[in-house]
Amino acid sequence: MTLHDNDPAELLPLTPVAFDILLALLEGEAHGYAIMRAVEDRAGSGTSLHAGTLYRALARLVETELIEELEEPPEGADERRRYYRITGLGRRVAAAEARRLDAQLGMARAHGLLGSA
Amino acid sequence: MSGSDRPGVRWYRALLRLYPRSFRERHGEEMLRLFLEKAEDAGRRGPSARAVHAGTAALDAMRNGVGARIEVWRRRRRLAGTPMGNSLRGSEGGRGMDSFWKDVRYAGRTLMRSPGFALVATLTIGLGIGANTAIFSVVRTVLLQPLPYEQPGELVLLWGEMRNRSVTHFPMSPPDFAKYRERAEAFDDLAAVFTFNASLTGEGDPVQVTAASVTPNFFDVMGLTPALGRGFVEEDGFPQPANLQPGQPGALPGIVVLSNALWQQRYGADPGVIGRTIQVGGGPSEIVGVMPPGFELLMPPTAGLQTDADLWIAARIDYVNAPENNVFLRPVGRLRDGATAEQLQQQIDRIASEIAANNQIKTTAGYAIRVESLHEDLTAHVRPTLLALFGAVVFVLLIACANVSNLLLVRASGRDRELAVRAAMGGSRSRLVRQMLIESGMLAAAGAVVGVLLAAAGIRLLLALQPDDLPRIADVGIDGIVLLFTVAAAALAAFVFGTLPALQGSRVDLADALKERGSAGASSARRLARNAVVVAEVAMSLVLLIGAGLMVRSFAELTRVSPGFEADGVLTFTAAPPFGSYPQAVDRANFMSELRGRLEAIPGVEAVSTGFPLPLTGQFFNGRYGTEEALTDPEAFGQAAYRAVSPRYFETMGTRLLAGRTFSEADNADSTAVVVVDEKLAEILWPDESAVGKRFLIRAVTQEPEWVEVIGVVEHQRAEDLGADGDETVYLTDRYVGSFGATWVVTAGGEPGALVGAIREEVTALDPEIPVADVELMQSYVDRAMGPTRFALTLIGVFGAIALVLASIGLYGVLSYVVRQRTAEIGVRMAFGAESGSILRLVVGQGLGLAGAGILVGLLAAVPLTGFLESMLVGVAPTDPLTFVSISLVFVAVACLACWVPARRAAHVDPVTALREE
Repeated sequence: MTLHDNDPAELLPLTPVAFDILLALLEGEAHGYAIMRAVEDRAGSGTSLHAGTLYRALARLVETELIEELEEPPEGADERRRYYRITGLGRRVAAAEARRLDAQLGMARAHGLLGSA
Repeated sequence: MSGSDRPGVRWYRALLRLYPRSFRERHGEEMLRLFLEKAEDAGRRGPSARAVHAGTAALDAMRNGVGARIEVWRRRRRLAGTPMGNSLRGSEGGRGMDSFWKDVRYAGRTLMRSPGFALVATLTIGLGIGANTAIFSVVRTVLLQPLPYEQPGELVLLWGEMRNRSVTHFPMSPPDFAKYRERAEAFDDLAAVFTFNASLTGEGDPVQVTAASVTPNFFDVMGLTPALGRGFVEEDGFPQPANLQPGQPGALPGIVVLSNALWQQRYGADPGVIGRTIQVGGGPSEIVGVMPPGFELLMPPTAGLQTDADLWIAARIDYVNAPENNVFLRPVGRLRDGATAEQLQQQIDRIASEIAANNQIKTTAGYAIRVESLHEDLTAHVRPTLLALFGAVVFVLLIACANVSNLLLVRASGRDRELAVRAAMGGSRSRLVRQMLIESGMLAAAGAVVGVLLAAAGIRLLLALQPDDLPRIADVGIDGIVLLFTVAAAALAAFVFGTLPALQGSRVDLADALKERGSAGASSARRLARNAVVVAEVAMSLVLLIGAGLMVRSFAELTRVSPGFEADGVLTFTAAPPFGSYPQAVDRANFMSELRGRLEAIPGVEAVSTGFPLPLTGQFFNGRYGTEEALTDPEAFGQAAYRAVSPRYFETMGTRLLAGRTFSEADNADSTAVVVVDEKLAEILWPDESAVGKRFLIRAVTQEPEWVEVIGVVEHQRAEDLGADGDETVYLTDRYVGSFGATWVVTAGGEPGALVGAIREEVTALDPEIPVADVELMQSYVDRAMGPTRFALTLIGVFGAIALVLASIGLYGVLSYVVRQRTAEIGVRMAFGAESGSILRLVVGQGLGLAGAGILVGLLAAVPLTGFLESMLVGVAPTDPLTFVSISLVFVAVACLACWVPARRAAHVDPVTALREE
């Protein structure tokens, strides 16, 4: 069952949590706890990510094939955890989302919301 | 500690059940670990951060669990090829938010549009849920949580009864104990315990400790093993040869297991204490073990035991030769697997009748042994209070629900047009009901969050009331189970306050509502619903307030009643000569009189004496008494409280002498058999003549009854409980009973607490090995005795006040609404010449009609319901007419007030404006 075609724009906009997860996975494979840490530690994020929100978002991202689960945990990793990595489609969607946000930011800047235009 | 024992694991596993099974199986374990890791972080920031984390995790699970379930359900439907039909779904359609979340968002927006309403409703429900959460947390810890022993359901207590003397909690003698232990087959084993105070010397300052003397099998019966070293073995309890005291040549040492607290405080948690010898009560004792932290002796107060044992000693008892009349053991037994308490009771009855057959006194006293479950017995005295309080908070929540329900009903009338539009656009009735229920659910969820915060604060306040009689009260807190209860209470509340308005609100007459004047014809069904809700609310508040009124009267009675002594300005403490270093009674007596002399010489001291036991300290010393008749007819014996006192006891305690004289120094001797009795005993034995100079029989220290002479009669002291009169009392001299240690009482001209330093100096100067302990004002014992009543009074009072406020707001709200609705009608009436006074009467009359109906229903309901308070009431009947009438009047007054504002508004209606509005 696939929910997308290959056009990343179909999947936009991403929810903030989904975008956060994709950003976290750009740094490499990670398990749920590490992703949560990365998201929570990111400067200015200030949000507390609970287990339910995180794992439901992960499940959805796997379903839409933006990320995939590793079949075997990486060397020396905790075997009881599931590890995830970002897919090619995930990268493209993240990039498209970033561009979308950037365009929005550009508008905001143009209207002086962020100081100098 | 196994994984499932960690706090929060069971809580989170329960929450995980909200998710669809597939999701749970795939991610559950990792989610649990993540939750625990975050909980640990939160725990480091303090208990409140931990509670917040647990709460937000619950909300997270509710949101995502339901969301994930909906996703699964949608996927299934899609796979089945069913189109997603949805009447209210607009252009968005297809992929996107599910209709449930759409409804949630819509509800959120609707509530945000009337923030005042949302705030009031949330706070009202929060108050109700908070009160329930706080009281439930107490009920859970005190009544529901299993005792911290192995298989606690198998533990039973044995209570001696003297049915012909109304004695219900008699201890057991060693020979009897041995018989029950041997012969009752339904026992897995039977142990026993008694407690005493002893000085602990050897290393560091002498301190007084609470020692629990136990049979060597005690820890096995409770199912606990020491954390360090070993428990007791049979040999540790071998009797002393030839009744030697510990410390005397040839005597066996005491064998001791330390409590964890004492081990930490006095021995710095040094594992090397095992094998060391310490001095307990002046005798050498060997430490063989240390108990795990948190192990406590949980016993009902009727056992008269001190439950805060600092150390455990194996009792050296000669079960064969110990006197049968010497009763001091409190037996705790464990049922054999598969045996029932009934079987045990039958076996015990058989053994008891065999024992009684060989003992004339037991036969005539109506001796029996009652078997009771430890947990039930432990909580028996607090169960009625807690259940009554729980009933009270359920009422508070129902009243809160009634208020919110009414707010919603009123609001539904205002929303007729909105609902009609939605219905016209194709929203089905069930969809509208669902929409409104979701609003209720959101209000309840917000109320639950407010409630948990209120409960956390409330529990702190509740503990500040120091309800010392509630076992394990210190463990009360908000944990997973309590939060689950909160969620359930919130769900139930949402259902209770949401259903009626939702059903009413969704019954919209399209044509009518869309016409401009739709609201004027509010359906009579809706009006009926509103009125019924207000009547119920008033009735429930009245019941609660009557309960509060009865508690106020009980408390007033407690403050009014004279306890038979003046607690004010009396300082009490213990400083007793230990048996080890003072084995002879004469040495102990000399110590007592010498210390008395020294204390009297302290500047500022007015009077000094001793008493054992002092009133209200929870210690007992009971025995038989009777007249000559009792020598031939043992049934003529009565049961009295005994008190061993030093000279000037009555003067120090402020107990009035009614006839004769009090003890002199010359009376305080082991050979002089003179006693002072209280008015109660004098009245029983010599109803119409003076008791002074009369002789009667007592059995306090001797095996057989002996003759004593009455030298004086004093006022009766309430010694067991301020609320009950208590037993008749015989006062003996301290020296007569062997000066085995008593509590000192001292009065001073100024602040008695300032004397403590000087008192310690004098005791140390006399014997540096003797600790001064339990320094307390007599007044604090009195305060503590009033504690349970104060606790119940405060809580029921607070709940009653909340109920009253909520009910008056409810009444006010409904009447304001009615006035608004009837503005036009009132205008017409006034245009036709009605006086504003008659309009006032009309509105007030309607309000009072509702209040009157509520009061009537409330009074009828209160008659059976206040019966639940009976055990907490002092000197007032559950159906006290004064309380019933005065609380009803309070309600009438409050109802008048609640009617007044809307009524005045109605009376000042300008007929022209009113008619133009129409």
